[in-house]
Amino acid sequence: MITQDTTEDQSEVSRMGEAHAYDVLVVGGGATGAGVLRDLARRGLRTLLVERGDYGTGTTGRYHGLLHSGGRYVAKDALAARECISENRILRRIAPASIEDTGGFFVATPNDPDDYVAGFQAACIAADVDCEEIPVAEALRREPALNPRIRRVFKLPDGSVEPWQLIESNIADARVHGSDAWSYQRLVGMERDGSRIVAATLRDERSGSVTRITPRFVVSCAGAWSGQIAAMVNVTVTMHPGKGTMLIFNQRMTDTVINRCHKSSDGDIMVPVHTVAILGTTEQRVEDPDRYEITREEVAALIAQGEVLFPDLAKMRLLRAYAGVRPLYQPPAEVTAAALKDGRQISRAHTVLDHGAMDGVENFVTIVGGKLTTFRRMAEDTVDMVCGKLGVTEPCTTADEILPGQVPGKTYWLGHRLADHEAEGGGDAALLCECEFVTRPQLDAFLDRHPDASLDDVRRGTRVGMGPCQGGFCTFRAAGVVGERAGHAGATDVAEQADRAILGFLRERFKGTRPIAAGRQLQEQWMISGVYEGGLGVESLIEHETPEASREVVGAQR
Amino acid sequence: MPSADVVVIGAGLAGLTAAIAAAESGAHVVVLAKGHAATHWGPGGIDVAGIPAASTPRDGIRLLAGQPGHPYGFLGDDVAAALDWLRPHLADGGVDYVGDLDTPLQAVPTSIGGTRRAAILPAGQAAALSPWSPGERLVVCGIAGFKDFWPEAIAASLSRERIWQGGSRPASVTPISVALPGLAARHNLNALEIARRFDDPAWRATAIAALARALAAVPGSGGRVALPAVLGIRDHAAVLAAVQEHLPAAPFEMPLVPPSVPGMRLYAALRAALIRAGGRVQIGEMIERVERDGRRVTAVTAAAAARMYTVRTGALVLATGGIAGGGLVAERDGRLMEVVLGLPVEAPPVNEWLALDAFDPAGHPLEKAGIRTDTELRPVGADGVPVFDNVRVAGSLLAGQRYIGERCGDGVALSSGRRAARSLTAVPAGHAAKPGSKRP
Repeated sequence: MITQDTTEDQSEVSRMGEAHAYDVLVVGGGATGAGVLRDLARRGLRTLLVERGDYGTGTTGRYHGLLHSGGRYVAKDALAARECISENRILRRIAPASIEDTGGFFVATPNDPDDYVAGFQAACIAADVDCEEIPVAEALRREPALNPRIRRVFKLPDGSVEPWQLIESNIADARVHGSDAWSYQRLVGMERDGSRIVAATLRDERSGSVTRITPRFVVSCAGAWSGQIAAMVNVTVTMHPGKGTMLIFNQRMTDTVINRCHKSSDGDIMVPVHTVAILGTTEQRVEDPDRYEITREEVAALIAQGEVLFPDLAKMRLLRAYAGVRPLYQPPAEVTAAALKDGRQISRAHTVLDHGAMDGVENFVTIVGGKLTTFRRMAEDTVDMVCGKLGVTEPCTTADEILPGQVPGKTYWLGHRLADHEAEGGGDAALLCECEFVTRPQLDAFLDRHPDASLDDVRRGTRVGMGPCQGGFCTFRAAGVVGERAGHAGATDVAEQADRAILGFLRERFKGTRPIAAGRQLQEQWMISGVYEGGLGVESLIEHETPEASREVVGAQR
Repeated sequence: MPSADVVVIGAGLAGLTAAIAAAESGAHVVVLAKGHAATHWGPGGIDVAGIPAASTPRDGIRLLAGQPGHPYGFLGDDVAAALDWLRPHLADGGVDYVGDLDTPLQAVPTSIGGTRRAAILPAGQAAALSPWSPGERLVVCGIAGFKDFWPEAIAASLSRERIWQGGSRPASVTPISVALPGLAARHNLNALEIARRFDDPAWRATAIAALARALAAVPGSGGRVALPAVLGIRDHAAVLAAVQEHLPAAPFEMPLVPPSVPGMRLYAALRAALIRAGGRVQIGEMIERVERDGRRVTAVTAAAAARMYTVRTGALVLATGGIAGGGLVAERDGRLMEVVLGLPVEAPPVNEWLALDAFDPAGHPLEKAGIRTDTELRPVGADGVPVFDNVRVAGSLLAGQRYIGERCGDGVALSSGRRAARSLTAVPAGHAAKPGSKRP
C-alpha cells in the first residue's frame, strides 16, 4: 500500500492512497503540535503530525516543568497571567496524570523590592490568580530548606508537569479521532504553487526513506525552528530564540514550587520534579536553536542566584545542566535594542501568524510564542483560524473532555509508582530503575504500547535513568530488556539498538555534566566511566563515528 | 596513643600493596580508608596497559613510559617484579591469576556485549584469554530473574565481528537462561547475594546440575560458556573447580556492573595477605587531621562512627585515589584539591578539563590530573623539590596517567605501592614506633 524509497536520489513516491490523504500537516511534535493535532482531529480534520526527532525533544522537553499559576506574570503581563490560571485549571481537569499538585510559594527574600511585594497580591487578584498570604513560619515548617530570612510568603496554585506524558495523551486522543503522528520524520521541503503549498516532503531520520504528502493545509508548530520551516516556502518568520539554562539537583530540597516574589529574573524558580528538583533559568539570545553551549560561568551565576532562595544550594549535588530555547517571536516593526538585550521584555503570550494575509500563502499558519502551560489554548486559537479558512464550523472541545488513560482528579505524587505497585499486589517485580521505581512489568507495559520505542524514548516515557544515579545502572538493564524482547521477536538489529542506547546515554549524560563538572558529580561521572570504559569495554561498541553526532555542542536534554 | 611505622590511607590495590610490602619488611602498618575502593567496582583483573596500540602489557608499558610525565616513565621497570611478588600472596588468598606481561592482550567479552583488552585475569576469567579456535562456540548463560546480566543482548552484540577488535572470535554465540534453585521468583538479587549461595556446597551442587542440563540441551558441543561473575565469594576456588568439572564447555566469568564479586575476592585476598604480614585495615575512617613537624607527618586523626582515632606514625603513604576515588576533589571554581594534605596538584586549566565528546580517543586532559612526585614517590612542588620527607604517593593519585582510559591503573598501583613501601622502610629507624603497639 505504501511505497517508500530507501534512498533520496530516486524519484519520490507519494503517499496518495486513501490511508494517507491528510487534510492538515502539523509540523513539530512538542506540546503545541500535539495540542493542535488533537484539536484538529476532534473537529473532524484528518491530520498528520510530523516530528524530526522523538516527541517533546525540542523546547517542551527542555524546560523546568512548571505548571504556571500565572503569578510570575501578574505584574507585567496580566493577559499572560490570566491565560495561565485559566489553562492551569483546565489542565488539572483534563490531564491530572501529567501533573503533580505541588502548589507554589512566592517568597519575598530580603533582596526583593518592597513595592513589588506590596502590590503582588492585588495584582494576582486582578488577574484572577488565587493568592493567599501565609505566615513565614508555616512556610518554613513545610519547606525547611528555604532561606530563613524570607519576609513574606504567598501561596499560589503552581504545579509540576510531566511534559512527555502530556504529549503522549494528546496524540493518543488524536489517534482515537482518526489522525496520526510520526516521529523521526523530518520535513525537508515544501512545494509552493502560487498562493498555496501543494506538497511536503518528509525524510525518515532512521531509515533515510523519503515520503511526499499533499495536505490541504500546513500548520507550523516548530517553535524556535519556525523560521526554518517558513523559509521553505519563502516566508520570513523572525524568531528570537532565547536560551534558558536549568540545573537539576539530586534531591527535592522542596516539595513546593518556589518562586522569588520579584520581577522575573535568572535563577529565581525551583520546581520539584519527581525525585529531583530543577532550578531555572536564564535568558540569553542565541542565533541558532540547534547550536548553543552552557558555560561554567552561567552555572555559577545560576547557583549564586538560587542561593538567595536555598542558602545551602552550593552544597547539594548537581546532576546535570540543560537548556531549552524559548520560541519567542518578535514582530519585525517592534524590535528594539532593549528588547533584544533581554528577551524577558517580549510577551510570552502567543501569536498565530496568518501567512495568507501576511505573505500570500493561503493554506499556511505558524503559531509562535506561548508556554507549555497554555499549549491547549494556543492550539485552540490556531485551530480556530485553520477551521475558519477551511470552512469547518465544529467548536473546540479540547477543554471539555479528560485525556485518554487519565483518571479524573488523580494527579501523580512522589510515591505514586510504589503505591500503584502495592495496590496491584506488590510482590517481587524486578526493580530496573531503583531511583525512579521502574519495574520490569512497567517497562514491558510501555514497550507493549510503543513497540518501536528507542531507549531514549523509554527514558522519557518511563523516567528510567532520570533519577539521582542518572542511568548508571538502569540504562544497561533497559537495554537488556529491549534486547531480550527483540531477540524473542526475531529482530535483527538488537545489538545496534543496545549500542545506541548505551553509547547515547553515556554521551547525553556527559553533555549534561560537562558544564557542571566538579565535586561529587564529577566523582560519580568518573566512577561510571571506570565501570563502563575500564571494566566493560564500552568503547568497543563504537562504530563509524558521525562527526555531527559526536561533536555537537548543543546542551544536554532534561 | 597508638602508633605505627607506616600509616597507609586508602584500601585499594595501591594502598594494600604498599601496606603488605611494608609489613613484610617488618614495619608496623595501619591502613585507614573511608570505604572500599575501585576493587569493588572493577572487573577484578590486573590491568597493566590495555591500550589499543599495545600487543602485550610489556609493550603497553613501553609505549606509555614514552609519554611525557607518565608514571611508567620511572615505574615501568618495576611492574614485572611487583606482579611476581604479589601473585603468590593472591594465590594464598584463594585467587590464582593467569597471564603475565608477555601474554598477548586479548579482546575479552564483557557483560554489555563489548570486549576489553586484557592479559592478566583471575582464574575464573582465564578461559576468556585464549584465542578462539575455528568453529569454537560460545554460550552466554544467564540466570533467570537476575537483572544485571542479559544473555540475549550480550549474545546479539558479540555475534558481530567488529566487536572483537580484529582478533579471533567464536563461530557462534548462543544465549540461554537457566532457573537456579529458589531464585526463579527472586528478581532483585545482586551478584553478591547469588555468589554467597554458590558458597553453599549443597545449593551449589543442584545449581551446577541445572546449568549442566541446560547447556547439554544447546545444540553443538564443547566450546566455552560465559557466566555472570557470581561463582562464589569465600569459596570461589571450589565453585570454579566444580563448574569446570561438571559443565560441558569451558566456563569463564563475565564481570558485571558493581558490586563486583571478582573485585571483592581480590580485595579479600589482599586484606588476608596484609593480616598475615601483621598489618591491619580499618574501613570507615575519614581523615580529619594530619599533624606535622616541618616536612614530616607525625600523626593522623580519623573520624569513625563514634570516636576520633589518632595514630602517631613514622611515615605516611597516600593512596587515596584520583577523582574517582575521592583523593582529588574538583572545586566549582576550577581548583583541584588533594584532600588529606592539601598537596600541590598538577592539572590542566578548567576550560581544558574535558573534551567535547565523552569518548574522545585522546581522553580528557583532566584524567591526567594528580600529584607529581620524585622517583621515590615523594610529593613535589612546582619546583620539583619534595614538600614532605616521610610521605609517599601511590596509585591513581599520581599525575600523568589516564588510569581508566589507558587501563594502566592496576600496574601503576602495584609498582608505585611496592616502591613506596620499599622507599619508606629503607629509611633508617628513629621514627619507628614501639614494636607491637596496639590500639586501646
